[in-house]
Amino acid sequence: MSTTPRDVAIVATSQTPSYRLFNDSEPKLIMRCVNDILERTGLDRSELQFTIAGSCDYLSGMPFAFVSNIDGVGAWPPVYESHVEMDAAWALNEAWLRLQLGDIDVALVIGSGKSSPGRPREVFPLQTDPYVMAPLGLDPVSLAGIQARALLDAGIATERDFAEVVSRSRRDAQSNPNAQVAKDVPVDELLDQPYFSAPLRKHDLPPISDGAAAVVLAVGDRAREISERPAWIRGIDHRIESHHPGLRDLTTSTSTAQAAAGAGVSAGPVDVAELMVNYSPEEIVLRRALGLDDATRVNPSGGPLAGHPVMATGLVRILEAANRISAGEAQRAVAHASSGPCLQQNLVCVLEGEG
Amino acid sequence: MTLEFPYTRTTGPVVGPFLTALRDGKILGGRCGDRVLCPPLEYEPETGAALEPDFVEVGPGGVVRSWTWVAEPTPKHPFDSPFAFALIQLDGADTPFVHAVDAGSIDAMSTGMRVAAQFREEREGAITDVYFVPEASATAQEVTPGDEPVRITTHLVALTISEPLYPHRVRFAEGLLKGRIIGQRSPVSGKVYVPSSGYDNLSRAEMTEADDVEVADRGSVSSFTVITPIQYYGQKETEPYIRASILLDGADSPIIGVDVRNIPVDEFRVGLRLQAIWKPPGDRDVSELGNRFGGAWEGVLERWEPTGEPDADPRPLQEFAF
Repeated sequence: MSTTPRDVAIVATSQTPSYRLFNDSEPKLIMRCVNDILERTGLDRSELQFTIAGSCDYLSGMPFAFVSNIDGVGAWPPVYESHVEMDAAWALNEAWLRLQLGDIDVALVIGSGKSSPGRPREVFPLQTDPYVMAPLGLDPVSLAGIQARALLDAGIATERDFAEVVSRSRRDAQSNPNAQVAKDVPVDELLDQPYFSAPLRKHDLPPISDGAAAVVLAVGDRAREISERPAWIRGIDHRIESHHPGLRDLTTSTSTAQAAAGAGVSAGPVDVAELMVNYSPEEIVLRRALGLDDATRVNPSGGPLAGHPVMATGLVRILEAANRISAGEAQRAVAHASSGPCLQQNLVCVLEGEG
Repeated sequence: MTLEFPYTRTTGPVVGPFLTALRDGKILGGRCGDRVLCPPLEYEPETGAALEPDFVEVGPGGVVRSWTWVAEPTPKHPFDSPFAFALIQLDGADTPFVHAVDAGSIDAMSTGMRVAAQFREEREGAITDVYFVPEASATAQEVTPGDEPVRITTHLVALTISEPLYPHRVRFAEGLLKGRIIGQRSPVSGKVYVPSSGYDNLSRAEMTEADDVEVADRGSVSSFTVITPIQYYGQKETEPYIRASILLDGADSPIIGVDVRNIPVDEFRVGLRLQAIWKPPGDRDVSELGNRFGGAWEGVLERWEPTGEPDADPRPLQEFAF
């Protein structure tokens, strides 16, 4: 790998709607995205030189589900293939690295998840410490509640701020055909709802979703051949913090700030930011960590509060940001993905249009 | 359906003494420079540098640094009725950790409140041996220490999964109840898949009800294995048994994992012709049929019986091993 990275762009995207329950298989969700992308770009499956997927077998409770998922990508002809048991934003990061090796120019990234068959609040404790957290059934909703309280106690946010994030996200989602929860609900009405994991109310949580997304990455002139306006990846970085919430300041996100610095967020104005706000208080933490001001439009898609196809949710943030650039609606965008409770691990990607 | 994953983990030099102390009614922190971390760690959290185990008893009282009220506990939570998860900084510790507070009501909770540890009657050397209550309602406890140090922990992960049968699986199940085996013919390749996954994985073509076809309930053994059961967690078998792949007449993919008990192992072979013997219609049961692998043949068939026909040529069957 040379010291100057090869220019890589997002040249095509596809996503399924977020479904509360998709009554068919995960490979079929993936297949719809892949077929859509091939049809719209005119690419042949054999021109996708590397494919990588992000998914989680625990979600649908099917051992080796990630192998069946290759049916959806297209098992034939054989291809260099990889998988991460992480949100597919990290699969995109691996695809970007793979393209840096210089021998191939086009890669396909897939993210997919079906949360509907399982019980997410019982599945996700398995990603916590197996000695001191998982046996307590310590779930991400409870941990998000603890983070929310820390923000309130520190005077950084109010419950009204949380409700405003929800109200705006789900109102914006009304123009997103793939959104699952899209409605205009006034803040005061939200604040009248009972607590679920106080200080969080149910609407502060993401919906349970099934869905998939796909992104094609291409290098240099190959990208310009495939797309009229590629969304160039100008920086991408990801950082992680301790898995012990007690060792972190939950009112900030150090790893997001580090990843933002690594990706070069502050080097120019940010027109649009698509942030993986699974719980409404996270938007407040992320805006501060990324240094975004009111000039940046945050989550015009509605974000994860409008649709949360786990393992694709982070990739969808990158996809939505890229779509804004390819459509000419934005020149410079930031996409963020997160993994682990209370924003434990964060990926930041800066995208730009040309000219 | 419930999937179980029985995890067994060694505890190591720091978690082991921490869990042993919990079983014995004490909570340990670990020194890290001039700080005390609770729970204790094997490494310095900022640098990852190894820490020599250096324990100090902390608690049993402490302060709530943040908390949430769990209005609807899951079956995996420590309490059936609403409780708080809280970041608790124990007296003598510099870092908080998350644990459960049985406070009775959200009104009893506040940031900065004092809580105290209570140990459960039955303890096994696990984080669940302890819980917390508002300090004023804590009761004095006499905890009898155990014998051996805790070197192993077991954690049975059980995930409950439920989903409706996919549309093509519903039609497959309805066919079985009528004594018919329904597959699907790819509109692209013409190949017949049984049972169908609802798509052709070579051409990435989705299939619909219009692609349904019936295949024969007889065919040729295309592959098999004789399984000698190992007694792992959840194993129900004790005697060797056959699992076979059978290429049904009219199909281009074999049915796999077919349970065969009635044919002696030394008479079983690739190419052997078999006929399905159905249970009487009223006895057929497809309740075990899910969206996953296999066809739940055992619920609808008595057995597979040799037809007495000459064997099929085994060579082309190599393509249909799995």
